[in-house]
Amino acid sequence: MSWPRFLVKRVLALLVVLLVASLLVYGSLYLAPGGPLSFLVGTRSATPELIAQVTAQYHLNDPFLVRYFTWLADVLHGDLGRSLVYREAVSSLIASRFLTTLLLVVYATVLILLVGLGTGIWAALRRGVAGRVVTGWNAASLSTPAFVLGALLIVVFALGLGWFPVYGSGSGFGDRLWHLTLPAIALALSSAAYLSRISSASITSEMGKEHVETAMSRGLPRKLVVRRHVLRNASIPVITVVGLTIAGLVAGTVVVENVFALDGLGSLLVRAILQRDYAVVQAIVLLLTIVFVLVNLIVDVLYSLVDPRLSLDGDAL
Amino acid sequence: MHTAKPLAIAATLALTASLAACGGSGGGGGGSSSSSQSASGLTLTQVTRAAVGDIDAVAWNLPYEPSTIDPSHSFNYSENTVIANMCESLLRQNPDFSTSPALAKSVDHPNPTTWIYHLQENVKFWDGKPMTSQDVAYSLNRGLDPDVGSYFGSYFTNVKDIKATDASTVTVTMKAPDVLFNQAMSTAAGAVVQEAYTKSAGKDFGSPSKGVMCTGPFTFDSWKSGDSLVMSRNDAYWDSPLKAKAGKLTFRFISDETTAVNALQSGEIDGEFFYLPPAGLSSLKSSDAGTLYYGDSLIFWALLGSAETGPMADPKVRQAFSLAVDRPGMAKVVFQDAAEPAKALTNPAYFTYGKPIFQAAYDALPSIKPDLEKAQQLLKEAGSPTQPITIAIQGSSAVHEQTGALLKAAGEALGLTVNIKSIPVEQYGAIYYDPKAREGIDAFLSTWYGNVPDPLDVYAAFVKGGPNNFNNYDAVSSQVEKARTIDNDDERATQVSQIMTTVTNDAPWVPLETLPVLAFLNKRVTGATVSSVYLYYPWAAALGKSG
Repeated sequence: MSWPRFLVKRVLALLVVLLVASLLVYGSLYLAPGGPLSFLVGTRSATPELIAQVTAQYHLNDPFLVRYFTWLADVLHGDLGRSLVYREAVSSLIASRFLTTLLLVVYATVLILLVGLGTGIWAALRRGVAGRVVTGWNAASLSTPAFVLGALLIVVFALGLGWFPVYGSGSGFGDRLWHLTLPAIALALSSAAYLSRISSASITSEMGKEHVETAMSRGLPRKLVVRRHVLRNASIPVITVVGLTIAGLVAGTVVVENVFALDGLGSLLVRAILQRDYAVVQAIVLLLTIVFVLVNLIVDVLYSLVDPRLSLDGDAL
Repeated sequence: MHTAKPLAIAATLALTASLAACGGSGGGGGGSSSSSQSASGLTLTQVTRAAVGDIDAVAWNLPYEPSTIDPSHSFNYSENTVIANMCESLLRQNPDFSTSPALAKSVDHPNPTTWIYHLQENVKFWDGKPMTSQDVAYSLNRGLDPDVGSYFGSYFTNVKDIKATDASTVTVTMKAPDVLFNQAMSTAAGAVVQEAYTKSAGKDFGSPSKGVMCTGPFTFDSWKSGDSLVMSRNDAYWDSPLKAKAGKLTFRFISDETTAVNALQSGEIDGEFFYLPPAGLSSLKSSDAGTLYYGDSLIFWALLGSAETGPMADPKVRQAFSLAVDRPGMAKVVFQDAAEPAKALTNPAYFTYGKPIFQAAYDALPSIKPDLEKAQQLLKEAGSPTQPITIAIQGSSAVHEQTGALLKAAGEALGLTVNIKSIPVEQYGAIYYDPKAREGIDAFLSTWYGNVPDPLDVYAAFVKGGPNNFNNYDAVSSQVEKARTIDNDDERATQVSQIMTTVTNDAPWVPLETLPVLAFLNKRVTGATVSSVYLYYPWAAALGKSG
């Protein structure tokens, strides 16, 4: 398949996924009990007249499809709508939070790649004590939930040693990095451990393959064998895991953002779902879907670069 | 009927008295904090020790991000904490719960259905434009406008019209007399916003992009959604004793309690008001980063009855329930000693007029000591009901869960079947206004407070068909209606204290605890007001450098 066709196909698929996702999310919010009314009328002085007035004002009683298509039409015109709860345009609500989450995810991804791949490769190639140390470290990391780790990091490095701030996302690039270091570590640790295990196992199994042993026994330099034959072949499952992990990180930010009081998308999404703030939920879900699809796209492209036998449309997988 | 003069004079006296009493707003150095010992031994504070000087910047945490700072939609802890420093009202509630003039320098009340507000001269909005009677009339009329949908609408139900009668006078004409309307002018219901700005901001008024335009000691600076809200000193503020000492006050929105407590401990945040004790309260009590104050408070913790049928609809069952609750135990276990057992919904801090009358009625109320024998007796008289009682609590709140467990145990000790139903916090609000959400729920837990220091404001919930009369309790309905029309303080106190006695006995809402404001201040700052008027009083104006 050629590149242009490939991209057109993927973009069309993305649009279909977005449409289906938005309908599903809107529908499930609509069916779930409760509603945004309590945030619109206050809790203590709502007279029946006020409730009726607010319901009409925000079209809360319109039929599902009418509301959905109104929303869809607005989005197609570039208007993501207004938050019912925050009484603000969704686009500005999200814009201010997107950067924080993006930076956090990228930071965590870098940590995952460095630590996960580094320890994984090291453990597989060294075996022995190094391998056992890494295995033990990975087991411990995998079984530590992010919120526990977050609390621990705060107590030790923020309150105890005072190296890092307790909360917040900072302003300016350097300050932001400094603020996001502990959250990124909390977010990255278990994923890094997982990646480390996968890459280590993958490399170990490649090392045992016949062609590798043949190459070794023929006296080819070990470095060359490892680079050409082991790492390249071992990287297919690793890329899959990295792709899934990054996509999952976006959802995983929720917990970490709460522990470190970051103004990110994850915490906004959870609150918006519980408050039935339709427009906000929809916008964030659309954004997450786009990120998910993009990450998958990148993974597919990487596959074909690493192993030319795998075609772009993924048939060979 | 009383005419205006006495009220205006009384109000002026109250202002002087409060300034003398708290010393904090006056400025200067070294004053001591105003505090008193409560019945159960907590030291209650109204104003923290006066600041010795100005301070550049202070960081304050809110329990959650405000949804708006439009005063007419500010009816909750975070919203009011912020707006009280920016938008002033016609009258002002002081830290000692007295009321004094603010943007209205005096009030005339020539007949029961007319309130005439004479406005303070030389008041300017932050943009330098003078405050006119037109602005004031416009602001108050927002309370009547269904398109605005003010959360304070219930105070305006008896209002006929609001007009600017001359350049410095606004006249409110009532359909029926209502003392609570005038009192509400000391809350965000009486807040004055600039007409031109409000109109041009349209639906963005009060939002992060537009904020508000008011006259208070702090000006709205910026609000970055999700991150912070900043206000700074209003250098041209008209009421010099309340001129802000802090150059800049940044509000943060850390909702996770542990994170907030950590940030207070590390000094990254200078202070916070807690309305329920956070998980890390004990570490704040013993913290060397600052001081935890217990603020004098109108806020209470109660079980609000919502059953129109079944056991909880029977006053005898509710009374039995009330008698079985171990309130001191609850204060200790659930609130970590940061609460006081309540024998009525309204604690003595509410008694700001007719005090001897209220106090006598209050003292005559049954003590808080559990009386299981009498409770059993009452249940027998009620026919020993066997139907289960369902109590709703708010999910993921330790205070709700633990109180629920204690209530369940108290009920079961009497032989009642009590079910606890946990409802997510985001849907809990619906219980208050949606009868459908209350179906199958016989009672629910809530904090509550009078917006003004008058017991009548609390008991006004119990009018027939009222939006907050969840179980349609109507034994005091006509007395409440009557009390709202009585201008004379002692007469009203007599009427309202009778209501208090009846309501306490019938327990449509079971009073549990009085909740002091829990205020933590870093040692580098002081001067803040910590009594519960912080919801409507510019509590941060006197916040400055500590000695």
